[in-house]
Amino acid sequence: MGSDDIQILKRAIQREKLARKQAEKILEDKSRELYLISQELKETNEKLEDQVDKKESELQGVFDNLLDAYVRMDIFGNVLEMNHAARNLFGYDIKKEKLNVVKLIYKEDYQYAMTSFQELVTKGSFSNYQARVYTKENGVRTVHINASLIYDKNKTPIGAQGIVTDITEELKQKQIFEEQKKQLSVIVENSSLGIALSQFGKILQTNKAFQNLLGYTQEELLQMEIKDISLKDEYAVSASYMEKMNTGKIDSFSINRRYVKRNKSTFWAKTNVTAVRGPDRNIKYMVALVEDITEQLKVEKQRDQLVKNLEKTNQELKDYAHIVSHDLKSPLRSINALVNWIKEDHIDTLDKTGVHHFNMIENTLEKMETLINDILSYSSVSNKENLQTKEIDLNILIEDIKNIILIPNHIEVSIKNKLPVINGDVTRIQQLFQNLIGNAVIYTDKKIGKIEIDHEDKRTYHLFIIKDNGIGIKKEHHDKIFRMFQSVGDNENSSGIGLAIVKKIIDLYEGDIWLESELGKGTTFYFTLKK
Amino acid sequence: MMSLTFLLIDDDEIERLKFARVLDKNDYPHKIIEAKNGEEALDVLAQKDQQPDIIFLDLNMPKMNGLEFLKELKSNTSLQYIPVIILSTSNNHQDLKEAYEIGAAGYIVKPLKYEEYTHKIKCLIEYWSVNELLKI
Repeated sequence: MGSDDIQILKRAIQREKLARKQAEKILEDKSRELYLISQELKETNEKLEDQVDKKESELQGVFDNLLDAYVRMDIFGNVLEMNHAARNLFGYDIKKEKLNVVKLIYKEDYQYAMTSFQELVTKGSFSNYQARVYTKENGVRTVHINASLIYDKNKTPIGAQGIVTDITEELKQKQIFEEQKKQLSVIVENSSLGIALSQFGKILQTNKAFQNLLGYTQEELLQMEIKDISLKDEYAVSASYMEKMNTGKIDSFSINRRYVKRNKSTFWAKTNVTAVRGPDRNIKYMVALVEDITEQLKVEKQRDQLVKNLEKTNQELKDYAHIVSHDLKSPLRSINALVNWIKEDHIDTLDKTGVHHFNMIENTLEKMETLINDILSYSSVSNKENLQTKEIDLNILIEDIKNIILIPNHIEVSIKNKLPVINGDVTRIQQLFQNLIGNAVIYTDKKIGKIEIDHEDKRTYHLFIIKDNGIGIKKEHHDKIFRMFQSVGDNENSSGIGLAIVKKIIDLYEGDIWLESELGKGTTFYFTLKK
Repeated sequence: MMSLTFLLIDDDEIERLKFARVLDKNDYPHKIIEAKNGEEALDVLAQKDQQPDIIFLDLNMPKMNGLEFLKELKSNTSLQYIPVIILSTSNNHQDLKEAYEIGAAGYIVKPLKYEEYTHKIKCLIEYWSVNELLKI
């Protein structure tokens, strides 16, 4: 081999060396690159895993905190996952026991559940499914479910998930609400009062009575405003009240007003309007209760007329009693004068019997006068025109009476406990005591007569007691004696009106009178006067 | 005793007799003019020659009753000072009040008994006999 050949070889080796070196360098570079990429991939992967973990735990958190129950199951209905709310709702813990959803289906809803499940399978989801389910403790709850299928990457269904809302309470509340609404509407519909709900003058709701009163149907009324059924000039009155209500000065008002019916006739009605306010105190609605008072007004008018007539008749009767009494008294006076003149002028020619008979005429005249006076006072007891209420010290009044009526020496009139000062009409109160004490005096048959007056304060009224030891009154006469002309005694000076006057005066003071009596032993009268 | 002229207005004849008898029996020197009701009395008063010093007036009378007459009298300037004493059957508060409101000078309730009547009238006459009267 020549040196040339060697040289050639050498160069060739040299080239080869260089090439290898270059190749090595490329290799080195590539492998570094590769390393870096793999390193990067690793990091990205870790990051991804991290994120998936994070998402998963986030999702778990969401499920667990979800107020509604979340259930995931496999295609056979085996429950794979339940959140906290689901465990609470159904009472099962799938970590401890297996659960298939079929077990949860309420017996009567089974068919419906199956149909819905079919829908889930074919459509991939269902919503607004409402059914009853069993809980572990055999409770029954009504639930609302939205569900959807879960697929794998090959679009093959591998399970289903659903959000379950417990609506049992809600339904119950709704039921109660419906029930109350029904009750209320029964009341409203059957009320004899017309009821209308309005807003800004527009009619929103009416009841049957209201429709009947006005002769419109509900549909017609709902197209109308309050002013359409009002009289123009009267609506102004209502409107002024409405204004007060709008400004919050009043919450309700009541007026008598007229309404215009469909046939244009009107009727009078008592109307109560009440505002229904929102939380901001602004009026949301107005409720009007309407009561037809046409009849009532008519009756009231009739009653007023009757009362007027009665008053007139009463006045006439009073006047009549007054005039008749006085007209009757005049002839008595004349007879008395004439008798006296005969006695005076002819005293010489009259014998004893004649004088006696004239005296008897005079006695008869006196009796007649007493009777007329009693009738007169009886008829004027309840005459309010001459009623003058003053303070009366009864102790003084009794002393006065003792001086007015003749009390024989053998009769003692005493006051047991000090009598009160009362308010009343002196004439009448005096007459009351005078008649009772007078009676006690007249009907005393004992050697020593005792008349005792007593009083008890009964807060809202006075109780007076007048007790005598006279002849007594038979039980069967106890009611009779208070009636007109019912004298049960045989006393000549008794007109039979005295106790009737007593009763009438007590009636005037809204009191009561009764008695206890024993024949031969005495009588006790009790009476009350309102304070 | 000075002689007075009384105008007695009463529709009841016996009442008028009673009054006259009291004067007569007691020898009073007074003169009585009688009238049966308010209208008649006004006629009497219209005759200026016999003006009474005192008027005794019943309340319950036909045509013009006592209170109506009294009102008429009190609104007449030349007659308003004649004292008017009511002689009435009624002790009714309303009548009493009205009579004094219009201007009665007295109010006597006629009693049933003649002796009581005599007593009351005597007292009245003696009281008015010692009064100074305003003459217009």
